Amino acid sequence: MLPSGLPEIVADEENLARFLTSRGHFNSRVVKPAAFMPDIEDRETSVFRHGSEPRDALWAIGDEHAAHGRTIHGAAIIKAQSVRSIRLDVFPDEPPPKHSAIRNWPWTHDDPDLRKAEHKELAISLANDAQLLKR
Amino acid sequence: MYQAIPKLGVFGFAAMHALANDGNAVSPEAQAVRAQAAYVIKVFEQSQALFGAKKAAISQLMALAAEEQTVDPIALLIAEQFLRALPNSIPLPEFSIDPDGSISLDWIHARNQIFSLSVGANNRLAFAWLDGTDKGHAVARFDGQQIPERVIEGITTIATNGNASFRIA
Repeated sequence: MLPSGLPEIVADEENLARFLTSRGHFNSRVVKPAAFMPDIEDRETSVFRHGSEPRDALWAIGDEHAAHGRTIHGAAIIKAQSVRSIRLDVFPDEPPPKHSAIRNWPWTHDDPDLRKAEHKELAISLANDAQLLKR
Repeated sequence: MYQAIPKLGVFGFAAMHALANDGNAVSPEAQAVRAQAAYVIKVFEQSQALFGAKKAAISQLMALAAEEQTVDPIALLIAEQFLRALPNSIPLPEFSIDPDGSISLDWIHARNQIFSLSVGANNRLAFAWLDGTDKGHAVARFDGQQIPERVIEGITTIATNGNASFRIA
């Protein structure tokens, strides 16, 4: 068991929240792929193990642990299974509580632009499966 | 074949309107002048509308870049060149910023119909698409003037799947 009380393995049916700190990462209908692109330094996408409800608790996590001085405009909610279905994976990464990371982004191409294109394709898949929650 | 006049001043444009709306013109020559004036006005107004849409898109991009502060300035320059080079028949994209500071141009028709292209600090465009069950990714070179054919095709494929929500450039 993790300090947060959550299991050490993220189950397929668990919801993951990707907090949206950029207005450009969503429109009125959908989450855009850029919201899920991995950080180039740590090669992962930061998420929290939380679903759309309770909503107040979701925004509290975002404000406390994901905002880093920015505004939380909303969240993209996605199942862990969607992440694993495209050969990425999600691992607990606490602290902060409930924090996890989407990892296994392919980093095999020597060509950074081709690597980026491959990441985009995967990010499009994640965005396609994500539910947009606006704050 | 009539040729569009590249520049019209305010007075020239007003005169052109007067010519186009001259209902007293009866000779074949006068009618030809009237038709030509109407054509020039139509082309001028269309180009103004198109330029206005691109100008608005570029402003939108600049505003987003100013808000994000992580945008690569060279990427911003190339993205602007890309927008200016976009044929008028192609819809304008939405914008987002990638974690590496490059600019993502997205054509989103539906949740499962997306063409997404990244403009970074070099002349190579990384792009990917999802069109129902069809998906893929590739890289194309952009010379600053001509949009690569593969990119045009990719956008068009997404945009022509019943594109009511796209803004046409």
